[in-house]
Amino acid sequence: MQLYSPLSTTPKRKAFRAPALASIDGMRIGVLENGKLNAEEMLNEVAALFVARNGCTVRTLASKSNASAPAPSNTLVQVAQEVDFLLTGLGD
Amino acid sequence: MPAAATISPRIHEVPDDLLAAIDYCYEQGWTDGLPVVPPVVDRVKAMLAADTRPAETVIAHHPATGLDLSLHAAAVNAVMAGCLPEYFPMLVAAFEAMDRPEFNFHGSTASTGGSAPLLVVSGPYADEIGMNSDVNLFGPGNRANGTIGRAVRLILRNVFQMLPGISDKSTQGNPGKYSFCIAERSRGNPWPLLCETQGYPKGTSSVTVFAGGGFCNVENHGGNTPEQVLGSVADAMANYGCITLGQSVVILAPEHMQIIADAGWTREQAQGFLFAQARRSVDGMKGVGKYRDREYDTQHGDGAHALAEAGFVHRGLRPDDILITLGGGDAGGHSCFIPSWSRGRGSIMQHAAIANRK
Repeated sequence: MQLYSPLSTTPKRKAFRAPALASIDGMRIGVLENGKLNAEEMLNEVAALFVARNGCTVRTLASKSNASAPAPSNTLVQVAQEVDFLLTGLGD
Repeated sequence: MPAAATISPRIHEVPDDLLAAIDYCYEQGWTDGLPVVPPVVDRVKAMLAADTRPAETVIAHHPATGLDLSLHAAAVNAVMAGCLPEYFPMLVAAFEAMDRPEFNFHGSTASTGGSAPLLVVSGPYADEIGMNSDVNLFGPGNRANGTIGRAVRLILRNVFQMLPGISDKSTQGNPGKYSFCIAERSRGNPWPLLCETQGYPKGTSSVTVFAGGGFCNVENHGGNTPEQVLGSVADAMANYGCITLGQSVVILAPEHMQIIADAGWTREQAQGFLFAQARRSVDGMKGVGKYRDREYDTQHGDGAHALAEAGFVHRGLRPDDILITLGGGDAGGHSCFIPSWSRGRGSIMQHAAIANRK
């Protein structure tokens, strides 16, 4: 008996990690919050730790209007030009 | 969706034993927990004959995983769910509708909110394939309703890899995640069918897809005015556990619909009444910890609907956020309200024509 696989026939997507920063001291931080309750507050608290401990500066706060959808590409392109690393998070 | 999948579908050779093949499907992790029909090659080809486009045609794309749904993969899962080939056009139309970014089917299937795609079929196609729009509407017993909804779940699982506990993080899930598929009742329906209001040509059927957060029975055997019946529905829509800015589906039982129609109410009047009445005070929302300035401003800021009352949070943003139609058996004052997924407008209902591509 021959059975067809029910799985997708899409080739596996290649994903790459961004290279790690050599140091975060003095870096520019972006914050991308997803609109969920307390997301902005929590991420700003985390950013404040980087400011206090590593001399970072918070340059950008971007918001997603839909927590579960990918951030719009124009948001990511803009943020990438302004910051060295981005804080974001999932969950409730 | 012009892109095409590029890897040929894999074939598994299994012993020529039906029960062993069912067990094999379990072993591969291809099921929803219930036995599936083994997707033998001949049955898949018969399913694919219901759509003349090339089998590798992509009908939906998963934004988070990058995985595509081809007609072939849809047909394999439709066979496994127990669908007949004549059901296939509706399954295809449902995924073409869910593929639109506004539906956000990644979020609505991955989320802790635990929604399930509700499919509402409208028009003559429902009768042509023998769908149930009548007694026990959301219950078991009808092959088309049961297996088309099940095929949706199997596709989400097998093609898009929305696996419970891994990528599907539903806190409590939802029985509709096995199957959540109904037909709009045309018999005795005093209002235009959904497919007509959606602007499709006469004779064209449609499927509406909605990320449904569950099922809330609305019982009222004593009310005998539209205000009483719809007041019960509005109260269900505005309960503190459900109220958000999200959309709603309301399926009125024939007994309830008769009361509303006998009073001469149109669908638009019913929608307006429900929107106006399905509300909670700002103080009440604060009392349960659910109030957010951002959401209130969305509802009451520029472009606010005239029925949005200051000092209150309504369910949805406007009356046409409420899909309302007829369904169920003749006896019983039992309508239902189906809330949207989770906390708001993360998924917007979509509809598509059910095309005959034979």
